[in-house]
Amino acid sequence: MTPRDLLPPMASERPLHPEALALLLADARLPVAGHTQSAGLEPALVAGPVDVPAYVALRLRTVTRTEAATAVVARAAVLGGTSLEAVQDAWAVRTPSAAMRRTSRVMGRALVRLAPRLVAAEHVALLPCEPVRPVVLGLLAAVGGLDAATTARIVGYDDIQTVVAAALKLTPLDPAEATGWVVRAFPALEGLVAGVVDLACPEEIPARNAPVIEDHAERHAHTTRRLFSA
Amino acid sequence: MLDPQADFQAHTHPSAAGRRALRLGICGPVGTGKSSLIMLLCSRLAATLEIGVVTNDIYTDEDARMIRAAGVLDPDRVVAVETGACPHTAIRDDITANLIAAEDLEADVLSAGAALDLVLIESGGDNLTATFSPALVDTQIFVIDVAGGGDVARKGGPGIERADLLVVNKTDLAPYVGVDAVQMKSDAVAARGGGPVVALSRTDESSVEELLTWVRGQLAAHAGGVLVPSDPGPMAPHSHAGGPGHSHAESPTHSHAHSHTH
Repeated sequence: MTPRDLLPPMASERPLHPEALALLLADARLPVAGHTQSAGLEPALVAGPVDVPAYVALRLRTVTRTEAATAVVARAAVLGGTSLEAVQDAWAVRTPSAAMRRTSRVMGRALVRLAPRLVAAEHVALLPCEPVRPVVLGLLAAVGGLDAATTARIVGYDDIQTVVAAALKLTPLDPAEATGWVVRAFPALEGLVAGVVDLACPEEIPARNAPVIEDHAERHAHTTRRLFSA
Repeated sequence: MLDPQADFQAHTHPSAAGRRALRLGICGPVGTGKSSLIMLLCSRLAATLEIGVVTNDIYTDEDARMIRAAGVLDPDRVVAVETGACPHTAIRDDITANLIAAEDLEADVLSAGAALDLVLIESGGDNLTATFSPALVDTQIFVIDVAGGGDVARKGGPGIERADLLVVNKTDLAPYVGVDAVQMKSDAVAARGGGPVVALSRTDESSVEELLTWVRGQLAAHAGGVLVPSDPGPMAPHSHAGGPGHSHAESPTHSHAHSHTH
C-alpha cells in the first residue's frame, strides 16, 4: 500500500512526482531563508579553527541524526494516523539547546509557508502548533509519497550543504574542493539513513547530542555580531 | 499567532493587505544614511503613528541597536534579521526571513493591544543594484547621498530610476565634497523620467517636510487600498526610442502586441 492510498487525495489535479518533490526540498533555491543558516559553522569558527569535513561528519552522527530520525518518525506518524505532537515533543526533549529549538521552529515556519503549494490544506492542518522543521518535512514526505530513506537523506544532505555553503562564505576556497567535501560525506550520509530508516515511534528517536555544538548555538544566539542566524 | 494556516493566509490573501501595516522599504548603498532616515521618520512620525522597524545589517543587529539607542521607538519595536552575508537575497529573491520578522513584529504589537501603522524595513547596505521585492514591501525609498559622488544620480540604476521615491541625502554636505546638489537633483529627476525625488538634509526643514508628505501620501494610498507595489527591478526597462523607461506595474493594460522600434 502506498502512502497515497492511506490519505485523502491531494488538491492538485496531478500528484507530485516523489522524486521531483525530493529535489525541490533539497534545492538551495527553495525559498526557506536557507541563506541565513550556517548549521552552527559560524559560531564554531568563532570558537577556533574548524576542520569542515570533520564538522560535517560530527553533525551527521549527532544532532542531524536526531533531526533525520524525527522527520522519519513524523512521516510514519502521518501515515499511521498518530499524533505529530508526540513526535515534536520527543524531538524537543532530545534537543536541549533552546537556541536550536528556536531555529528549527523558524525553519519549520518557512517550510509551512510553502506547504499549501505542495500538498492539500487538510494535510497542513495536521501539523502541531509551531511545527519544527523535521516535523514539517516528515509531513510533506508522507503526503508527497517520499519513502523513509529519502526523507532522512534530504535532512542529512541539506545539513551537509548548509555547512559547506556557509564555509564558502566564511572561509572561501575553491568551490570544487568544497563540493568534494560534500561528496566525501555521502558514505556517512548513508550511514545516517541506515540508522534511522526503520524508526516508527517517537520514543525510538535517538538523543544524539553534541554538547559543543549546542553550546556554540547558545553563545551564537546571544552575540550581537553574527552573519548567519544559526 | 503561529497557526500554520493563519500564517499562510495572512500573507497570501489580498483582502488582508489593506489591514496590515504599510511596509516601507529603505535601501541604497552603504553609508548613504538609511538608518538616519529611519530615525528621522520615527522621531517625526512616532507621535501620530505606531511604527516598527526591521533591519538587515551585515552583522546582525548593529543598525537595530543604533536605532534602539536613538530612543525614538520602544526597543521591542526594532528587530534585526540575519542575512547570511546575502543582504541582496534577503530583500529580493528569498524574502522569507524578512516576511516572518515583519509578521511577528505586527503580531507582537497586536498582542500588546496596539496595531502597527508602518513597518520600516531597512536593507543591508549593498550596492546600486539592490532593490526590494514588491512581495516584501508595499513601497520603497532608494537613498543615495551627495558624498557618494555627484554623478551617481545621472548614472542611474534600478533603484535610482524606479524606486517609488529617490532621496538624495546629505545635501548640506554638498559644498564640502564639491558637488552641485541642485544639479544632482535635476539629474535624478531626469533619470527617473520626472518621478519623485527629495533632496534631503536633516538641517533643511522644508526638505524633511517634503519627505514626510510623501510618506503620509503612501500611508493614505495604502489605507485606501490603492497602493500597488511595483518592482524597480534589476533589469533595465525596454528602451523605447526617445522616451523614458516604463513600468509594467503602473500600466497593467500595456500590451506588447503593437510593433515598436527598439
